[in-house]
Amino acid sequence: MPATPSPYHRLNPLTKAVIATVGSIGAFVLGGYVGPIAIIAATLVLAWRAGVAGRLARVSLLLTLPIAISVVLVSVFTRAGTTVLFEIGPFDATVEGVDFALQTLVRLFAISLSIGLFIMTTEPRAFVFDLERRGVPPRAAFVAVATIEAVPTLVERATTISESQRARGLDTEGSFVARVRGLLPIVGPVIIGSLTDVEERSLALESRAFSRPGRRHLLWAMPDSGWERVLRWALVIGLVAAAAARISGRI
Amino acid sequence: MSWGRFDTRTIVLIPIAIAINIVLGQTVGAVLKVPVYLDSIGTILVGVLAGPIPGLVTGLLANLIWGYVLPAPFHSDFAAPFAIVAAEIGLFAGILGQVGGFRSRPNTDLGRLLIGALVVVVVLGGIGYYGFLPFYAGADFTFFGDTSTASPFFVALGYVIGIGIIAAMIGLIVLLFVRRDVGVAYVAIGGLICGIISALISAPISAVLFGGVTGSGSDLLVAAFQQAGSDLQTAVLQQGLLQDPIDKTLEFLIAFVILHTLSRRFVARFPQGEKAIGLESA
Amino acid sequence: MLTLSGVSYRYAGYAKPVLHDIDLSLADGEIVGVVGANESGKSTLCLVASGLAPGSIGGAVTGGGLAIDGEPMADKPLYAFSTRVGIAFQNPATQLSGVTGSVFEEVALGPMNLGLTQRETVERTNAAMATLGIEHLWDREPRRLSGGQGQLVVIASLLAMRPPHLVLDEPTAQLDPEGTRLVGDALRALASTGTALLIVEHKTDLLDGLCHRVVALDEGRIVLDGPAAAILEDDRLAALGVDLPSRVRLARALGSRGLDAAAVLA
Repeated sequence: MPATPSPYHRLNPLTKAVIATVGSIGAFVLGGYVGPIAIIAATLVLAWRAGVAGRLARVSLLLTLPIAISVVLVSVFTRAGTTVLFEIGPFDATVEGVDFALQTLVRLFAISLSIGLFIMTTEPRAFVFDLERRGVPPRAAFVAVATIEAVPTLVERATTISESQRARGLDTEGSFVARVRGLLPIVGPVIIGSLTDVEERSLALESRAFSRPGRRHLLWAMPDSGWERVLRWALVIGLVAAAAARISGRI
Repeated sequence: MSWGRFDTRTIVLIPIAIAINIVLGQTVGAVLKVPVYLDSIGTILVGVLAGPIPGLVTGLLANLIWGYVLPAPFHSDFAAPFAIVAAEIGLFAGILGQVGGFRSRPNTDLGRLLIGALVVVVVLGGIGYYGFLPFYAGADFTFFGDTSTASPFFVALGYVIGIGIIAAMIGLIVLLFVRRDVGVAYVAIGGLICGIISALISAPISAVLFGGVTGSGSDLLVAAFQQAGSDLQTAVLQQGLLQDPIDKTLEFLIAFVILHTLSRRFVARFPQGEKAIGLESA
Repeated sequence: MLTLSGVSYRYAGYAKPVLHDIDLSLADGEIVGVVGANESGKSTLCLVASGLAPGSIGGAVTGGGLAIDGEPMADKPLYAFSTRVGIAFQNPATQLSGVTGSVFEEVALGPMNLGLTQRETVERTNAAMATLGIEHLWDREPRRLSGGQGQLVVIASLLAMRPPHLVLDEPTAQLDPEGTRLVGDALRALASTGTALLIVEHKTDLLDGLCHRVVALDEGRIVLDGPAAAILEDDRLAALGVDLPSRVRLARALGSRGLDAAAVLA
């Protein structure tokens, strides 16, 4: 989380989630170039206001760059098209291919930015607890929050085990076969160990009245405001309208 | 047949299963660079241990959280729309567990083992053959025939796929006979069917939303099929029908091994554990 | 008052019972230590006393069953036990919920699950943390605590539910000496709250001076049950595979050399 929260950070988590969802689905619904580029621009403006524009752009580029290579291969060179631009061996790059590739890339970048903005400006626990306040069952909220914790914990566990294995001379670099053999003694104990933890964890949770049905009074309270509610509905309706227009009118 | 229960143990299992999904899915891709996903093992385990509906929920949540909530480096921009596929995998695994598909049937006689091996070989071979049809038919590269005009890249790719399929077949048969457990064959068939269903569901999603591109090794296959003359939708489907059954079979088998490595006492405490593993004398 | 009357228990899928004819009572405010060799049934006893067996893990309880304040607990839902008898295990890592960002939230989790108001939750959380002396840890990440600190947070979390009885199954088994010391002090602090404690421990030093009574298990049966001072000096303990408290061992060593232990240790 950045050190200086901005007004964007302080929006209700659901608002930010709706913005992200509308942005990412909208990039697909609108299609073409104009829509996704508009979404990219809007998202970057919001990110700039939140003080995370630089970081967001960098991370999204890093995530989309490896895919760009695949896009080039799949969409530029091997896609059937009529107007050939240039050739490399048996592969020809067609105008249609380049056009399709660019559209895909732009769309992917828009999706990545939208979701990335949400993740960078929202504390996941805050989001989940806000949802619980709105009626999501406490045990579902538990699963969401626990998963966020469980992933780094699993990685830590794997790192510890792999370090102790390496101290015992197990090879983790090298040829493919060596790497597979290096991974197995780690993957096994990590998975089995995490699974057997489930027993003790559930017993401990029972002792905290985990299986008691009913709502809870949370210690968290995320502020929400009238205009945010209006904004959320406006965005969703806008998205649905755009989808309808796309399907019927502008196909 | 039970649809499953969400007791405390299940609720505690789901996050751990999702974490296993995500960590395996990202590590395997990064470290091994093989064309399998291995990102559904947790989902399968929940389906078998807790029931079809918990499995479905796990798949859904796994992809949604992977796509929308987790920050880098555990983030995936592609995962969220495939939540439907992940849900289907959990549901299928759960149903397979309910009908006893994950039971160990040790000490099977040789005859039944041979039949099991034969069925697996036929099904796997059929998939491989279907996947290779365009390679044979496409004018540019027939990698058993004249390779002079073919791009060496795609010839190599063809060999890799061929070797992969043969290796999978051999691995399966070895597993069958070493463990003398025809349960392996049931699990493998289940995985193959699940893979086919998954490919059918995920192809349109991949083609329409992402232009057939997901940033993994499968993109190469899509490109190859397109080069061989298929349009995008068909190419994605062909890639899926080749890759998903192998991946799902592998994942189902890994889940099978995990299930039988865990202590019986542990597994039995889950809602569907007893049914999935089969009753043995204590 | 927690009572087990003639209770036998066998795990699900097993034919042989692990506990035989257990008669045990824990009066309000009483502190009872449980000792015995490994596999003597101590952990099973804890699970039965807390209702987790058969409530969560299945299995069969035969005999009179568990009763709290005269009320039989056989058919109660699991969450009804948490406000009557809490249970702590050995490993702090698996007992911390994994969904809280601070120790305060962790301790508050139980009361929140009970559906209490914000005010009551905060009150109970503060009180529990004060009892165990961990107020200064309130905003630490539970994951990053030491073993001993983690166990203190676990016990505080249970205490916040205000159960009249607490069962502790080898709370220091996975801790280093510092952690053990922390938990030992915490147990003494707990004693002053009037909570009844049932403590299973190998480290009889912890039980010495803390417990009113000590019970010894052997192969699923209670073989000794009496005042702590008497039982902890009983010769039969060694035969049961139980280490005597260092005080007792020292006194005996001195005595065997002809020294007057009472004078030396005074």
